[in-house]
Amino acid sequence: MTMQQCAPEIPLEDRIEAILAAETPPDGWKTALEELFQRCKDQERLLDRLTHIADRFQAAERERSQSYLTRYERKVRQLEKIVRISDQYQTMLHQLKERLEHSSNYDSLTGLPNRRYMTMRLEEAASQAARQSASGFAVMIADIDHFKAVNDNFGHAAGDRLLQSVARALELSLREYDLCARWGGEEFLFLFPSCDEPSAPIVAERLRKNVSAAPQAEDGIKAPTISIGYTLHRPGESVDATLLRADEALYKAKAAGRNFAMGM
Amino acid sequence: MNNLEIAQTASTPKVLADSAQGRVFMAGDSYPENPFEFFQPIIDWIDTFLDKNDKPLGFDLELIYLNTSSIRAMMDIFDRLEESHQNGRSVSVLWSYDPDNERVGELAEEFKEDCTFPFTIAPRA
Repeated sequence: MTMQQCAPEIPLEDRIEAILAAETPPDGWKTALEELFQRCKDQERLLDRLTHIADRFQAAERERSQSYLTRYERKVRQLEKIVRISDQYQTMLHQLKERLEHSSNYDSLTGLPNRRYMTMRLEEAASQAARQSASGFAVMIADIDHFKAVNDNFGHAAGDRLLQSVARALELSLREYDLCARWGGEEFLFLFPSCDEPSAPIVAERLRKNVSAAPQAEDGIKAPTISIGYTLHRPGESVDATLLRADEALYKAKAAGRNFAMGM
Repeated sequence: MNNLEIAQTASTPKVLADSAQGRVFMAGDSYPENPFEFFQPIIDWIDTFLDKNDKPLGFDLELIYLNTSSIRAMMDIFDRLEESHQNGRSVSVLWSYDPDNERVGELAEEFKEDCTFPFTIAPRA
C-alpha cells in the first residue's frame, strides 16, 4: 500500500477499497474514515429531510381529499334536500290540480256532477251510440215542483237544503253506471246507459216516487215532488236534439199537473 | 345602503329589503324564468347588508309555491344566515302561511331543518 492510494485527491470509494484490501491500516485511513462518516451523516440528514417533506405532502393531500369529501357530502345532502322539498311542492300542486278539476266538474251545493261534466258525458255517450247502435241511452230531466215558492217563503238557505235532500234521494235511486247531474237551478239531468223503451218509464217512475218518499226537509215546507221528462237518444241525432225532446216532455209533465213523469 | 324593491309578477314574488329596518319581505309564488337573474340581486343585497353593518337581519316570508331553482336559492340564503348566526350575528326568519294551505307550513319545516337561528313558522291569523 502506498501513500498514493490514500491521498485525498483520489476518490473516496477507491481509498476505502484500498484500505479494506490492506493487511494493516495504511496511512490516511483515519481521514478516509472521517470523510466516509461525514458523507454517511449528510446522507442521513438528506433522507430525513426528504421523508419529512414527503410526509407533509402526503398529509396535505389527505387533508385536501378530506375537505373534498366533506364538501361533496355537503352538496349531496343539499341536493337530497332540494329534491325532497321539490317533490313536496309537486305533490302540493298535484293535489291542487285535483281539487280544481273536481270543482270544475262537480256542483258544490249538492256534490253532484255539474252541467259541464254532464255535457261531456252526453257527447261521449252520443258518439258511442253512433258507432254501435246497441248502446242507446235514455235522458231524463227532473225539475222540483214549486221550488220558487220555497225560496220565496222560506229563504234561499231553506231552498238550498231542499235541493240537497232531493239530490240525495235522486242519487240513491241510481245504479252504478247511471249519472245524475245538477243541470241548473232546480233541474237535474240523468243519463241512463243501455236503457230501452220499455224500462224508461219504470225508471222515471222510480225517481219520482223516491223523491216524494224522501224525508221531509224541515217543518212547514211541503215534501218536495218532481216532474220528469224523459226520452231515448236516437242514434245519429245531436245531443241537443235529445235534450230538446226531454225538455218538451218535461213541459208536458208540468202541464199535466206536476209530480208526473212524461215520455216522448 | 340602498333598499331593494321588486314588484310581484305571476312567476316571481314581491320582494322588499329595507336596510334601515334590517328586514327582508318576500311574498308570493316563485318560478322565475331566469332564477339566477332574479335571486342574485337579493343575495347580493343580503351579503352587502351582513358585510357592511352589524344590525340584526330579519326575514318575513309569505312564499307559497317555489320551483326547484327557487328552493335552491332560498337554501343558499338560509345558509348565509346560518353562517352569520354562527359568527354571533342576530338573524331570524318568520315564515307565515295561509292556514287553508297546511302544506306550505310543512314545506317551511323542511327548510328550517338545518337552521339553528330563530326560525318561526306560523299560520296567518
